[in-house]
Amino acid sequence: MKRLFSGVINGLIEIWGHKLRSLLTICCVMLGVASMVLTTGFMEGFFKGWEVSLQEQGGLEKITGTPSSPSERQAPLAAVSRGFTPRDARALAELVPGLEIISPEIDAVRARLTRAGKSYDGRRGGRVQGVTNAAFEINRYELESGRFFSDLDFNDHASVIVIGGSVKKALFKPGENPLGEFVEMNGQPFRVVGVLKTYERLWGDFNTLYWKNDIAFVPLATMAAKVQRSDRLTGLNFKAPDVTRLRETLDAASNVLAQTHRGIIDFDVRTNEEQLASFASTKASFVIGGSAIAGVSLLVSGIGIMNLMLASINERVREIGIRKAVGATPFNIFSQFVAEAVTLSLIGGLAGVGVAVGLIQALSAMLPPGNGPLLAPSAFVVGFAFSVTAGVLAGVYPAIQAAKLDPIEALRYE
Amino acid sequence: MTAAAPEVLRLDRVGKRYPMGDTVVDALVDASFTLHEGEAVAILGPSGSGKSTLMHLLGFLDSPSSGEILFEGRPVAVITERQRAQIRAEKIGFVFQAFNLLPRLTVRANVALPLSYHGSPPADADARIARALALVDMTHRAHHRPGELSGGQRQRVAIARALVNEPRILLADEPTGNLDTKTAAAILDLFKELNRLGRTIVVVTHSPEIAGHFRRQLHVLDGRVKEGGAR
Repeated sequence: MKRLFSGVINGLIEIWGHKLRSLLTICCVMLGVASMVLTTGFMEGFFKGWEVSLQEQGGLEKITGTPSSPSERQAPLAAVSRGFTPRDARALAELVPGLEIISPEIDAVRARLTRAGKSYDGRRGGRVQGVTNAAFEINRYELESGRFFSDLDFNDHASVIVIGGSVKKALFKPGENPLGEFVEMNGQPFRVVGVLKTYERLWGDFNTLYWKNDIAFVPLATMAAKVQRSDRLTGLNFKAPDVTRLRETLDAASNVLAQTHRGIIDFDVRTNEEQLASFASTKASFVIGGSAIAGVSLLVSGIGIMNLMLASINERVREIGIRKAVGATPFNIFSQFVAEAVTLSLIGGLAGVGVAVGLIQALSAMLPPGNGPLLAPSAFVVGFAFSVTAGVLAGVYPAIQAAKLDPIEALRYE
Repeated sequence: MTAAAPEVLRLDRVGKRYPMGDTVVDALVDASFTLHEGEAVAILGPSGSGKSTLMHLLGFLDSPSSGEILFEGRPVAVITERQRAQIRAEKIGFVFQAFNLLPRLTVRANVALPLSYHGSPPADADARIARALALVDMTHRAHHRPGELSGGQRQRVAIARALVNEPRILLADEPTGNLDTKTAAAILDLFKELNRLGRTIVVVTHSPEIAGHFRRQLHVLDGRVKEGGAR
């Protein structure tokens, strides 16, 4: 330990002795480490954002059932099936083991919400859905104020509505409390009983979670009876009891639906797995790209350090001879030069981490919150390990050269 | 010279050959002599006579082509490079014509250098450094760098460095070669004083006058070592 310390001190003296040269080498390492920590930070930020989006869409356990056109072979028989109906939901609950959260949904066709001269027509993909409370759970909606639906609402086909953040913004003045107020859907009055939280995750100016705000919900039964006048579902989502049983639940549900649809495959059930797969593969390619950048930086800093060390050894042949004459073993010389290289790269590494921290903080201040680069602790560890590795690897060869010098030749050297 | 004094170094028919182009050069031929504790020896010879080779062999910086060197009765040939370095660090002090101080280190750090290569650094290292500096009267310049010192001062620092490990033997290669006459005389007095205190000293020189300051003289000529006159 004491030797290591004195090695570092020695290294510092040498570095101080060649200020400009050492500074340039330190810059090499600094840039390498900084670029690496920054890249890692951006990657962390990017994937964190993506992961949150994925979670907000219901996470991995969500299975989405949607109507689809039956195959050509079955097309003539398509009328045999009644399509998605609330009965499908009941059948799933009964027949698929472990399936508890099932969300039948009916989208309103061309719903237009108005109130006191203001209107919200959901042009930008906004929609009004008839749902049960399971929809809030599956899609992870939380209330800002008010309540979700009650059993009474379903039984009475009550004209109540839960509105999203964008709807509230479109129909109400800032500060106005929508609870208990009436809004009209295609002319029919609905009483607002709940307001959803406003979700925001910015990508530049763009809110990637906009679709969670552009929405309003009424009870499923109300939608069927009063708006659509049909109980045909536009979607049937459900949640596997846990991720490991995803495939099994998907298969069981497909079988049950095939049964209730009288063998007509006019539905499509899929999981979030495809998204996850693309998430994983993108992440993998980013990691490979990041590693390549890291590798090149490592190489460049390593070359810089090795170059400096070799030049320094050439200049210090005499010193090596003197040290050997007063009793330094080859290993002493070797460790002296490795310690110098490591000291050099450590300074560069610390400076690089510092620069990266500064840049990340500056960027986070400039970029909107939510998707800026993140300072992962792993980035520091990686940056540190990186610089030490570069120092050791680049120091070993010159150090071996130094240790091998013949003391007599070295002493004679002028 | 008292024959009863313990033997420090013995050379037994030591030869050293260098390949030089197509031929080989015999830098040293059948050198045999013994150095005892407390001796002051001058190795005298013109340049190119092989005295530097002899000096390097005495300090194990080089290995002989033939013959045997024994340090404290142990053959040097059988010990490892690492052990030789350790003997240099603990039992041999080197003084060079060109001083060979490390310019970036302070006087004190230069003197401390051999101690840092001890297997286990002595507990009284600070006291030893102080003693060595005091002996050569350089305590007041301890925190200067060699570049700030005169030639004589630098050589005194180099001698302090050679003494700091309290060596069995002090090897000096033309220690006064780069110094003016007055400073050279002071350095020689220092060597004589060290010898009077019991230190074994070997000085390599081309000057018969300097050699004359030492009790025993070895003459080197064309690689052959002869016992010279002892005063």
